[in-house]
Amino acid sequence: MSASLAPECNGVKERYDTCFLKWYSEKYLRGTGKTDDNECTKLFEDYQKCLSVALKERGIDKLLKEAREDNKENDAEHMKRK
Amino acid sequence: MKVFSNSYTFNYSWEEVSTANWRKYCPWNDKTTHVIAVDTLAREVDQATGILRTERLITCKQSAPDWVKTILGSMDTSQVFETSYVNPAEKTVTMVSHNITWANMINVQETVVYKPMGANQTSFEQDARITALCGGWQRIKNSIEDSLVTRFHENSMKGKEGFECVLAMSRRVFAEEREKERRGDAKMKA
Repeated sequence: MSASLAPECNGVKERYDTCFLKWYSEKYLRGTGKTDDNECTKLFEDYQKCLSVALKERGIDKLLKEAREDNKENDAEHMKRK
Repeated sequence: MKVFSNSYTFNYSWEEVSTANWRKYCPWNDKTTHVIAVDTLAREVDQATGILRTERLITCKQSAPDWVKTILGSMDTSQVFETSYVNPAEKTVTMVSHNITWANMINVQETVVYKPMGANQTSFEQDARITALCGGWQRIKNSIEDSLVTRFHENSMKGKEGFECVLAMSRRVFAEEREKERRGDAKMKA
């Protein structure tokens, strides 16, 4: 797996990534992983708790907010929302 | 504005490619060392369509030529915001990325689509639009755009080679895991 931009988050990130990959290949692609609440949810929360601090410290959180705004058209197109 | 397009066929199923895609930038890939971190920011499955939407932040070692850095500012790393959409019904992976570093001076938007081509092949289509927004001479803007197109081309080639390594390793590891599970089952039955 790839590293996190915040080295202190590498451990929780690795655990989440491993869980996600297993869920993706064994459940999601087989049509049984439709729920957002799954075995990786708790690991994702742990990872985000660590990462959000790092993003704030580096001032990246603000840039991401703008990037999300700019991406709304793509979301509408690719999420097939009417 | 400059446009960069590229397409390629991987000799792996869409399921294999879409899975390995999540670890494209892992240590199995020694070609894309410019990517130093990949962080997942958000992930959700749309209940109505089954589409998996993921936001990631990709951190790269700054590799712009020195003269570009002189104009745009010097930084050690640059970052890209990527949103991807996996549509399991249509079997497509669409990834849209844009730069958040130097975003007020250059605008780079890349779209990558992976689609199945039969049962054992997957097509990769990449398309990037590069626009220098910084004020000043058109000649300088053109040079910046050209230099970024060149870098895109180089990284795209490296990305393809590196991803081939990841695909080969993924197939091997999955086969080994299946074998282990099979042996485990056999032992349980015995």
